Amino acid sequence: APSSATTGPATKTAAEPIKWKLVTSWPKNFPGLGQTPETFANYVNAMSGGRLTVTVYGAGELVPGFEVFDAVSQGSVQMGHSGAYYWKGKMPAAPIFSAIPFGMNVTEMNAWLHYGGGMELWRELYAPFGVIPFAGGNTGVQMAGWFKKEITALEDFDGLKMRIPGLGGEVFKEVGGVPVTLTGGEIFTSLQTGAIDATEWVGPYNDLAFGLFRAADFYYHSGWHEPGTALEFIVNKEAFDSLPADLQSIVEVATRAANQDTLDEYTARNNQAMQTLIKEHGVAVKALPEDVMLALKAATEKVLTEKAAADPQFAKIYASYKAFYDGVREYHELSEKTYYDNR
Amino acid sequence: MEWMALLLFFCLCGFLLLGYPVALTLAGLSLIFAFIGHLAGGFDLAYLAALPSRLNGVLTNQTLIAVPLFVFMGVVLEKSRLAEDLLETMAQCFSRFRSGMALSVVLVGALLAASTGIVGATVVTMGLLSLPTMLKRGYDPAVASGTICATGTLGQIIPPSIALVLLGDVLSSAYQQAQLKMGIFAPDTVSVGDLFVGAFIPGLILVLLYGIYVLAFAPKPPLDAKASESVPVSKLVKVLLPPLLLIAVVLGSILAGFATPTEAAGVGAVGALLLAATKKQLSYGRLREAVMSTASVTSMIFLILIGASVFTLVFRGFGGDDAIHSILSALPGGVFGAMFIVMLVVFVLGFILDFIEITFVVVPLVAPVLLMMGVDPIWLGIMLAINLQTSFLTPPFGFALFYLRGVAPPSLPTQALYKGVIPFILIQLLVLALLGFWPSLATWLPMAVYG
Amino acid sequence: MVVATTATICEKVCSVSAKIVCWAVLTMALTTFVVVVLRYGFNLGWVALQESIQYQHAFVFMLFAAHALGQDEHVRVDIFYRHWSGKQQAWVNIFGTIAFLFPVCMSIVFYSWSYVLESWRLLEGSKEAGGLPLVFVMKSLIPAFAVLMMLQGIAIVLRAMQSLLNTTERAT
Ligand code: NA
Ligand code: NA
Repeated sequence: APSSATTGPATKTAAEPIKWKLVTSWPKNFPGLGQTPETFANYVNAMSGGRLTVTVYGAGELVPGFEVFDAVSQGSVQMGHSGAYYWKGKMPAAPIFSAIPFGMNVTEMNAWLHYGGGMELWRELYAPFGVIPFAGGNTGVQMAGWFKKEITALEDFDGLKMRIPGLGGEVFKEVGGVPVTLTGGEIFTSLQTGAIDATEWVGPYNDLAFGLFRAADFYYHSGWHEPGTALEFIVNKEAFDSLPADLQSIVEVATRAANQDTLDEYTARNNQAMQTLIKEHGVAVKALPEDVMLALKAATEKVLTEKAAADPQFAKIYASYKAFYDGVREYHELSEKTYYDNR
Repeated sequence: MEWMALLLFFCLCGFLLLGYPVALTLAGLSLIFAFIGHLAGGFDLAYLAALPSRLNGVLTNQTLIAVPLFVFMGVVLEKSRLAEDLLETMAQCFSRFRSGMALSVVLVGALLAASTGIVGATVVTMGLLSLPTMLKRGYDPAVASGTICATGTLGQIIPPSIALVLLGDVLSSAYQQAQLKMGIFAPDTVSVGDLFVGAFIPGLILVLLYGIYVLAFAPKPPLDAKASESVPVSKLVKVLLPPLLLIAVVLGSILAGFATPTEAAGVGAVGALLLAATKKQLSYGRLREAVMSTASVTSMIFLILIGASVFTLVFRGFGGDDAIHSILSALPGGVFGAMFIVMLVVFVLGFILDFIEITFVVVPLVAPVLLMMGVDPIWLGIMLAINLQTSFLTPPFGFALFYLRGVAPPSLPTQALYKGVIPFILIQLLVLALLGFWPSLATWLPMAVYG
Repeated sequence: MVVATTATICEKVCSVSAKIVCWAVLTMALTTFVVVVLRYGFNLGWVALQESIQYQHAFVFMLFAAHALGQDEHVRVDIFYRHWSGKQQAWVNIFGTIAFLFPVCMSIVFYSWSYVLESWRLLEGSKEAGGLPLVFVMKSLIPAFAVLMMLQGIAIVLRAMQSLLNTTERAT
């Protein structure tokens, strides 16, 4: 072929740009989550002066969304953007690095990861797979979800059919709910027709985009099950090690910048979206009743204790998480919470 | 190396004609191109490392679980001799009309289509039962065989339909992709259920036009003097009740929100089993045949999906997506031009390929571009489904033609078969044109049902 | 003799696995029905039960495909093929199996090997809470499928060669 002279491996020189593929668990250009890898890629391309270029592939374009970790670990791509809770089947402790019901919020989570020993534990967890994790953005406190019926007491959760994956789903089952798994395409129609009674999604920005207000009238806060869901960038270790030191720094700094950028975007857009939902679509925004919250909290305690007993890695990481959480919570009671109440 | 992608597509068309199983030709030729591309420096073999992940994606695809369930339901219904009872009774009912036999074939075809959707089973059953009688009563062989073939394919468009399940799976991801690419951050979704509802009215129009054709336009058989027996209402009810119940269970549970299409398929399959059991047609041997032939059809469909998944990976690796995009967007006539060309290409490909290959290979390439031009996904899905329905009838490779040829008496000339389906293909193209001008024929009902 | 026996053994392996997994069609229909009835009738649901349908589904088509190939149930564009002589058809099947089937299946085994081994090393479980802890079994279907297909491919080539030899013998 005519192009072989220019692109063949034999002619590769040091000046040739390094090309990385980044696969994600979201459709390309997905609001919020899907912007983070794009932001990252733009930063890297600009900072490296084009010496390292990152091409972003949406879910399914190269590999399906839930295959991101394997693709990075096997080295078929250099990077991925996803959420740690998807790798629960490989590492029962992984969900701690995305969200725990009634766990830390975004500020606390970032602090634990970068100043509380969390990142070291995370790297240690992924090391056997040849994968290096970086914080990859955070949605902030999510919403509890969309409900077709009003929830006035704990009894209303009895037999309630809700799409709620992950640890949240397990806790939900503990209090009498029926967690249902559905594909993305089926969620809206199933909620509309009443095949399910409720679903959680992300927060106002993504939920407005998904049009869930057309299928359910009640929008409950707050996201007890995902109080600040952390996303992740994952990098194949061999690929990372093969980069010159300056490009390694650029990758690391770009993840850090994209991490913050995602939260900024969510903070700005969630508020706008919530206003639209209330004012334009007449959505009833309500808080889950206190007895529901208490029951969920108790069930969370039970589920987490069971998880820690079943898996030593979970126990070790959760101990670090909890120790940090207990400390930071005490201070935030005095600072953030008092301030929220007073302002 | 976009030209390599297009070359791959054309070579594929050539190699398929060799007659080696389509799925393996798809995957094998794509691999050969990938290796050649790699040696020439234009293809990154790392793409192939994504193969196991993509295959696992096929294994864990939740939407497509509906496929074996609907196939099983159809096969069990076939074994329960539901079609036989219906045909016999309906033929008696309409024996007073001069084209009564043909009309009863159309009606039974429509009923079977709404309870299941296995084209082969319907064509074979009607071919065995009605064709000899119709020929004996003096029907033009072309009319008789054309009517049977065409009504047999109604199961493709009238829900529940496997074609719509496959299209729904492909279109839902294409639609999301397209909207996000356009910067629509409030993307709608489209599901198999939406397509089921959307196909309802176009399906009824097809049945209506088929009926009008056989009654008013097709050459009529001579009047049969002794065929004027009447049918007791009780017998009619007894025969009509099972299919109507099944229709209510499957379509009803989807519309009423009891079940997703996948779950409805499972419920329908168990319903069919119960029906067969009450009719005492469910022996161990029959059940064994049913699961064997369901597994066979299912693995046939999924092998094509696996082959197509290798093909799209390589096609994408060569940058073929971009090539298709630039070709379609550069067509004169904007959306209409692009839609027209796509429909024409699908129709022409339908002569040599069947709906599964077109759905898995061609639709994922063209749908995102069309949807980005603003085409409604339900409309596109139904247009494609009706268009793909013609692929069953267009020689040389038309499934319905094969099936009928297989059971028709040798005295029936193949030419009569080809001639007989022409009016029905024209009716389908007419409905396609109607839909083209009035998209609301497909989009109104889903809006009314789902809001 | 050896050729015929080898072909028979290959076919037998494929047909035995097919005859076992085909029953999953029935059980998956029943499971789906039970899931629906439990959910809407009794407000009960288990993620593991829902996931089991997925597994049964995957078992059916991954382990039946090779037998279906042997039974010639996979679609061919047989516009010309069906008019060709047995000898010509035999050549097509030998060519297609060597040029397409074997490379595809060997690539699948080659690329999925470490992917599946890794899953076994972890005894990988479900990503869903309360899901089936059997993802490594599901993933093993990928190489298993490829191996069965290759066995059936060997049988096809042997049978085709045999028929070529037989026709040549008869011709001379
Ligand atoms: Na149908
Ligand atoms: Na055709």
